[in-house]
Amino acid sequence: MALLEMASVTKQFGGLTAVSNVSFSVGEREIVSMIGPNGAGKTTAFNCITGLYPVTSGRVLFDGTRVDGQPPHRILRFGIARTFQNIRLFSYMTATDNVMVGAHWWMKERVWDGAFKTPRGRREERDIEQMALELLDALGLGDRAGSYARELPYGLQRRLEIARALATRPRLLLLDEPAAGLNPQEKNELMALIARMRDEGLTIFLIEHDMSVVMGISDRIIVLDHGEKIAEGPPAEVRENKRVIEAYLGSGASQEARTA
Amino acid sequence: MQKRTVGLLSVSGAILVAAVSACGTSSSSSPSASSGGGGLASCKGTISVATDLPLTGGDATDGPFPQRGAQLAVEQANSNHTLGGCTLNYTSKDDSSVAQNGHDPAQGAQNMTALAQDPSVVGVVGPFNSSVALTEIPVASQNHLAMISPANTNPCLTVALAVCSDPTVNIPTNSLYKGPHTYFRVIATDNDQSQILAYIATKVVNATKAYVIDDQQAYGHGLAVLFAKYYQADGGTVVGNASLPSNTKTFATQMSDAQSKGAQLIFFGGTSGDGCGLVRRDMGAAGLNLPILGGDGCQDEKFITDANSGSKTTQAEGSQATSAPDVTKLSSSTAFYAAYAQRFASDPKPYNDAKNEPYSPYGYDAMNILIQAIKTALTSNGGQPPSDSTKFRDAVVSALRNTAWDGALGHTTFDSNGDTTNTGFTLYKVASGAWTGVNTYAVDTSGKVSVKS
Amino acid sequence: MNNETEPAAEPAPRAVGAQVATPYRLVSEEGLAPRAPTGGGAAARRVLPAFRAAYGFTSQYFPAILLVAIALTILGVYHSGGLTLMGQQVRNALVLGAIYALIAIGYTMVYGIIELINFAHGDVFALSGFYAIVIAEALGLDKLATSGLGGLLVALIVLFTLSMIAAGLTGMLIERVAYRRLRDAPRVAPLITAIGVSFLIEGFLLVFFGPDNVATNKANWITGNAFSAGGVAVGFKDIFVVGIALVLMFALGAFVRGTKLGKAMRSTAQDRAAALLCGININRTIALTFFIGSALAAAGAIVYSINYGDVQWNLGFRLGIIAFTAAVLGGIGNIVGAGIGGFLIGIIYVFGGSLAGGEWAESLIFAVLVLILTFRPVGLFGIDVGTRA
Repeated sequence: MALLEMASVTKQFGGLTAVSNVSFSVGEREIVSMIGPNGAGKTTAFNCITGLYPVTSGRVLFDGTRVDGQPPHRILRFGIARTFQNIRLFSYMTATDNVMVGAHWWMKERVWDGAFKTPRGRREERDIEQMALELLDALGLGDRAGSYARELPYGLQRRLEIARALATRPRLLLLDEPAAGLNPQEKNELMALIARMRDEGLTIFLIEHDMSVVMGISDRIIVLDHGEKIAEGPPAEVRENKRVIEAYLGSGASQEARTA
Repeated sequence: MQKRTVGLLSVSGAILVAAVSACGTSSSSSPSASSGGGGLASCKGTISVATDLPLTGGDATDGPFPQRGAQLAVEQANSNHTLGGCTLNYTSKDDSSVAQNGHDPAQGAQNMTALAQDPSVVGVVGPFNSSVALTEIPVASQNHLAMISPANTNPCLTVALAVCSDPTVNIPTNSLYKGPHTYFRVIATDNDQSQILAYIATKVVNATKAYVIDDQQAYGHGLAVLFAKYYQADGGTVVGNASLPSNTKTFATQMSDAQSKGAQLIFFGGTSGDGCGLVRRDMGAAGLNLPILGGDGCQDEKFITDANSGSKTTQAEGSQATSAPDVTKLSSSTAFYAAYAQRFASDPKPYNDAKNEPYSPYGYDAMNILIQAIKTALTSNGGQPPSDSTKFRDAVVSALRNTAWDGALGHTTFDSNGDTTNTGFTLYKVASGAWTGVNTYAVDTSGKVSVKS
Repeated sequence: MNNETEPAAEPAPRAVGAQVATPYRLVSEEGLAPRAPTGGGAAARRVLPAFRAAYGFTSQYFPAILLVAIALTILGVYHSGGLTLMGQQVRNALVLGAIYALIAIGYTMVYGIIELINFAHGDVFALSGFYAIVIAEALGLDKLATSGLGGLLVALIVLFTLSMIAAGLTGMLIERVAYRRLRDAPRVAPLITAIGVSFLIEGFLLVFFGPDNVATNKANWITGNAFSAGGVAVGFKDIFVVGIALVLMFALGAFVRGTKLGKAMRSTAQDRAAALLCGININRTIALTFFIGSALAAAGAIVYSINYGDVQWNLGFRLGIIAFTAAVLGGIGNIVGAGIGGFLIGIIYVFGGSLAGGEWAESLIFAVLVLILTFRPVGLFGIDVGTRA
């Protein structure tokens, strides 16, 4: 059964239709990429899934439960975490604190635990901090745990965002252009990381422009253009799809895509 | 509503008087007019007087009292036939405006112009506020119209004291009306009060170093500046001063300052609402065991409540303030308060009792003095109103200059500036939680202060 | 080469505009000519860089300059009145500063989280003062507090708890009713609403408690001198005021830094959407911020009631504006900055007033506000402290 299912989802902004009657599904432990030219509605689709935008019509199902119309913080609790196209870390908090915010919703600490520093609250704070440090370590951020997020180099900020998303204990991880701005070595590390997360049981759904990444790791690719789904299938199939090549890659770029 | 009725009344009054004076000229040789030198019984017609006071908005608790006092004086004069065969027509003007939510100098000037244009009007009681007087005095004076204020205490309205040129004092000298003015007042000025206060500070309290605080308001700041001037003239030293916003809630900084400068007396120019009692309270908190002296703005219940609101609940004890003598306690005022209570018994509270506000006897005396002057003017013209309204007005003004009236406030005469010589101020002291009168002081025109009996 | 001669021939037909022999030139040849820098005479060219340098210097070293100015003022007071006066004024400044600090924190927290200058905050402070009066009267706390040390402690704990809860709920109510729906509106809309709420509270207090000072009956709760050093008598009350403020400020700092809700507040302040997608309930977090800010204002109001003995309906306006200046001085949005800013403003108010005359005290504070906004709009500590919430 599909973990995430989009059923005829449409999102309109006034007269503009950003996502038009799109249906697809993402199965458990799958790595699915969504591609399409700028303005195709990819990020809008992400925002519809995470609840930042209410959908105009259609349904979003997660593990069989309807999640559209729920507030974002509640959708997250179903197990959908995400990162952003332009990194949105809490710049004036340390890397550790950023990760600890991710643990916010499942922490048992109550207002009074925090206000009066109860032993229970303190113990939990300590445990979560330990968890955060381990997570940072595993992602190669161990020695920068105490740095403010904004002081980290770009590549590490991307990874910190993933760490924060992982701290929310997701089943599905949405990555919005995770490879943007990374150098080739960092891209390889990213692909390894995505593969590792999938191997550990996570489902990954990503938006990406970088064809080497998309073709390298995806089980399936969904192509959007002008808010409509124009193709879907395994990488080998999509890269040969005429409509995709014409509408999205263009005749000149098709060569580039093939060689990548 | 009230204003409109008043307007109609004054118009009809004007028509009536115009008719009367027309008759007067045509029948000047009639026997009744020529017979009997100053025979008031033969007087014919209606003579108009008016009040100009703030009656609405924020001043609704002030102006209506002297207005009723003045109205009572007119009604008594009419029923007693004080002017013989002539009757008084009374007009009430309101110098409040909606824009100012209370007294408005522009509205006052407009009212005074309307009254001056009306030839039947020979005198006006008002205004209440010194700022309104400033715009009205030129209008009235140029039109020979007498005005008697029941409540203006700013000395700079009539005398160009050196202190008046202090730009922080409300009414600077350069706005003083230069021509011969027709303005009088039945209330002593802040100048009189501050001379008395300086005398008390130096001669009664025996303090040679004073720390002066005021509330930045026209009254309080003016009083503080005047006090400092006379205090220094009397040999005292002002070791420090502070002019603080009227809603200041703590004076701890100033108390430390006063302590370090060795002050022997704290003077406060202002009202209890603006911190007089709080200064006394903070003196206690700072351990400053000094006398405090203030003007009439401090001499009220609120001072005691505020002063005792600190840790020491008897902090108000021994505080001193001068205030105009309590008119309600004067034997001369008994008849007035009784008559007021009877006449306005059906009015809503608090207007049904003159004792709820200090200025009604001032309005009453001012109007009586005006009526007396009209009577003198009529008598000297053979008991008839002079045909020329300007001549009539001039006669009233010159009669006012020679006023000697025993009224609710005691004996009133005017000095050459039009200010009352009835300048008594009583020194009060807090004893056993209440203000208790100590002595009454008066100041003469040469500035000499003496204890009044 | 040819191009150089052609333009010289051109101006005539262009000026006349009758003959259209040559095609119209798109590029003005005057524009192509090399030119000397324009604007400003020699004097301006000399003065402007100096001016810019002075501005840059002042803005870079603003905190140091301000601290030096404050130190000089304190020395001036020492010079004019000796150690005793200086000591007394330090005491006065700390007491005043503690109250400003408690109010300033509320301003800064709300600004930090929703970028709203909550003009109603000062009035919540005044309202809390009246809550304290009503609560103390209803429970007979005034009598209890003066009965002995034990009674005083019980009365203080009860009064602080109940008043802070009442004020906190009021703050949450204000946020829910007046600000939540305007959260994504242009910023001037909630700002004007805040002013409206401010008037509403003031009007309410005026109608219910009258225009005069209202005695709080708490001035005699704490009395007596703790110690006296060199002519400076420090009362238990002074210690209480400053102590309460410091304790609450440090407790808040620890809460914001070290707890999950504190982190939720900070993350919401820094990126609302990202916080939302980390599973944080934004509405609840913002409501909590208003609760804490208003509760601290209530603590300030109780401290004020005990220290000064009366409150007035319009108390919040002036104190609020001064506390707002303190928040801006510390860097609006910065909690630690607001606390320090409150004490600095207290020092400027008292020492500046002592030296220049009390009538200048407030002018000095607002002059400082203008200087900060000119030279250092981010405040002394900016937002770079990691406590923004």
